[in-house]
Amino acid sequence: MALLREADRENLRKELAQLQTPVRLVFFTQALDCEYCGLTKQVLEEIVGLSDKVQLKEYNFAIDKDAVAQYKIARVPAIAVTRVEAPKLLVTGNEQPRERDFGIRYYGVPAGFEFAALIGDILDVSAGESGLAEQSKTALKQLRDPLHLQVFTTPT
Amino acid sequence: MAIENELITADAVEASEYPELADAYQVYGVPLTVANDKTRVEGGMPEQLFIQQILQGIGASVAEN
Repeated sequence: MALLREADRENLRKELAQLQTPVRLVFFTQALDCEYCGLTKQVLEEIVGLSDKVQLKEYNFAIDKDAVAQYKIARVPAIAVTRVEAPKLLVTGNEQPRERDFGIRYYGVPAGFEFAALIGDILDVSAGESGLAEQSKTALKQLRDPLHLQVFTTPT
Repeated sequence: MAIENELITADAVEASEYPELADAYQVYGVPLTVANDKTRVEGGMPEQLFIQQILQGIGASVAEN
């Protein structure tokens, strides 16, 4: 059964039609001991089904240790939202797209408010544009040390 | 914010699905933002105030204006 209602699906399809640069949802799951992995996957599959600019890549948290380390994944279900950029210079014609990871992660089922936030992130990551005020951007660009933000929410 | 600086990483965590983590960070209200495991910013607020509180909390130098 679909999670999204038909009207929501249509609105989302229109919203995602703005995407120019493709986005990859890198999904970490595991077969056992993960109450919310199945539901998360279903949500992601519905999103990916609405746009050919949104890709889904799945890794197993228990098995794919290299990917877990590369994306610094702490727990499952997890989603990394990355940008799939075209190679800057085409020399041989065989250059592969480059994945740009801004460090954006979702832990848990993206439902309710978090679903809207995930869609917003897909649009922002694709555009490479945070939508923040110029003053905020300036302040953030001056940062010289790592900043790890964890935003706790509940589904509403 | 993570888009603006490569040094910034941002996790959204569904608190109810990770009760142990929510306990460890003493999440009693949402949204709660924890920066570098130490600075806590509770509730929603205007963007510039939020960024100011985070940067001051982690001891980053902030340009006055």
